Amino acid sequence: MVLTALTTAARRNTADRSSVLVNIVFYLIVATVLSALWRAAAEANGGEIVGYSMVAVTWYALAAEAATVSLNMRMIEVVCDDIASGAVAVELLRPASVLGLRISWAVGAALPRLGVCCLTAAVLGPIIAGPPTSAVGAALALPALALAITCNLVAQHAVASVAFWTRDVRAIWFVYQKIVFVLGGMILPLQVLPDALERVAMVLPFMAMAYVPSRLASGSVEPWLLGLQVVWLVALLGVARVAFGAGERRLQVVGG
Amino acid sequence: MRPVAATLRSAFAEAWSNRAAFWSQIGAIVLNDVVWIIFWSLFFHRVGDMRGWDTESVLVLLSVLATSAGFTFGVLANGRRIGTLAADGDLDAALTLPVSPLGYLLVRRVEAVHLGDIGFGIVLFAVVGDPTPARVAMFVFGVAVAVIVLTGFLVLTGSMAFFTGRTTIAEMGFNAMMILSSYPVDIFVGASKVLLYSIVPAAFVAAVPARLIDDPSAADVGGLVLAAVVFGVAGWTAFALGLRRYTSGAAWTRA
Repeated sequence: MVLTALTTAARRNTADRSSVLVNIVFYLIVATVLSALWRAAAEANGGEIVGYSMVAVTWYALAAEAATVSLNMRMIEVVCDDIASGAVAVELLRPASVLGLRISWAVGAALPRLGVCCLTAAVLGPIIAGPPTSAVGAALALPALALAITCNLVAQHAVASVAFWTRDVRAIWFVYQKIVFVLGGMILPLQVLPDALERVAMVLPFMAMAYVPSRLASGSVEPWLLGLQVVWLVALLGVARVAFGAGERRLQVVGG
Repeated sequence: MRPVAATLRSAFAEAWSNRAAFWSQIGAIVLNDVVWIIFWSLFFHRVGDMRGWDTESVLVLLSVLATSAGFTFGVLANGRRIGTLAADGDLDAALTLPVSPLGYLLVRRVEAVHLGDIGFGIVLFAVVGDPTPARVAMFVFGVAVAVIVLTGFLVLTGSMAFFTGRTTIAEMGFNAMMILSSYPVDIFVGASKVLLYSIVPAAFVAAVPARLIDDPSAADVGGLVLAAVVFGVAGWTAFALGLRRYTSGAAWTRA
């Protein structure tokens, strides 16, 4: 059932052509802007910034944006609304895990968008900067991107489960998004952070959501980063499962 | 003007009615804006000056952008929803009123979350913008122009839904405008820079007003006025022409 949910969501998102077009344009704009910013920064520093060359930092930006644009960063809000309205109660009637189905659905919706972003990057990157500095690193970045969006969506469900108790965590998505932006390495390589903050960011799960695939795409061949993502994914799944399970037992639905 | 002012008052009252939601949303957007200060501080700490931009000048840009975007998305919130309202046939209620439909629609809805942007932008300018009377005047002028350009552009792209039946152009226009206006315009070169001064006039929403505050010039004033006239008229005209093609299922809706 979980696999069916994933493939159904993927097919549905692929069929919506205008949504795919918006996704491509949005990705193009964000990736172009951020890569232009970091290339300008590298140029202002003699062609390199915190150890990244102009080509490397461009591929870092392209991968980081693919990891973010592919998924719904407001998933926390969506899940929160479904819990607060009681809509999630209907899903409890199914002979399958509510959390498992929801995550499968979200990952299935994100994967086609990720594919589109990767294809767009494969065309855009060589035009604006040149080919990736390492083909192995670029190849490793692909599974890392899939793991990154899965980690992100699982974490969003874990955070959203607070709504079982508080009913309203909508403002949290803003905070969560900004943490991923900075501590996840979405808008800047983590090496840009002050040393102490960089060390903290490196041991938090957010780095698995943008930094890891971006680091690999930039040409740094570090396969162990994929293993680290898997560890974080298992840990986040555990937290989300415990939180959702406790929340489902507590759920109260008025009327309906 | 009185009906429009009355509509705006009721929209504010509606946004204010749920105090807890009002303040939590404002808190969230201010936090969102603070992250941008952190980002730019970290960025320029590592990079130093870049193509004539440094931390202070970018924070002035951020103050102009936050104030103008806050006003557009907060006070004229329906400007962003014109495409959706047109495509979904949700304009019927507005068309029966003895006031300009566009004027009414723009002020009908206030988004509390973006009012926080206005406060943030003004405070940020007061703190980092060295607010002498001349600079304050330029700030007010720049924000006013940016609001007109941004609203005109959103209405223009949103009105395409009258002709296409889809909101795709409106969504792309909104995303492009907000992302492109958030960064110093000089990081772009060649055709992409030309784009920011023409089809997607993001330069006139933040970068040019910010430059005007630091280094006033007649050319920038003229450019801003021209951009405001062009996009203000274009938005108004596109909406008026689109309205002639508007159809709906006669659903009585709340615009």
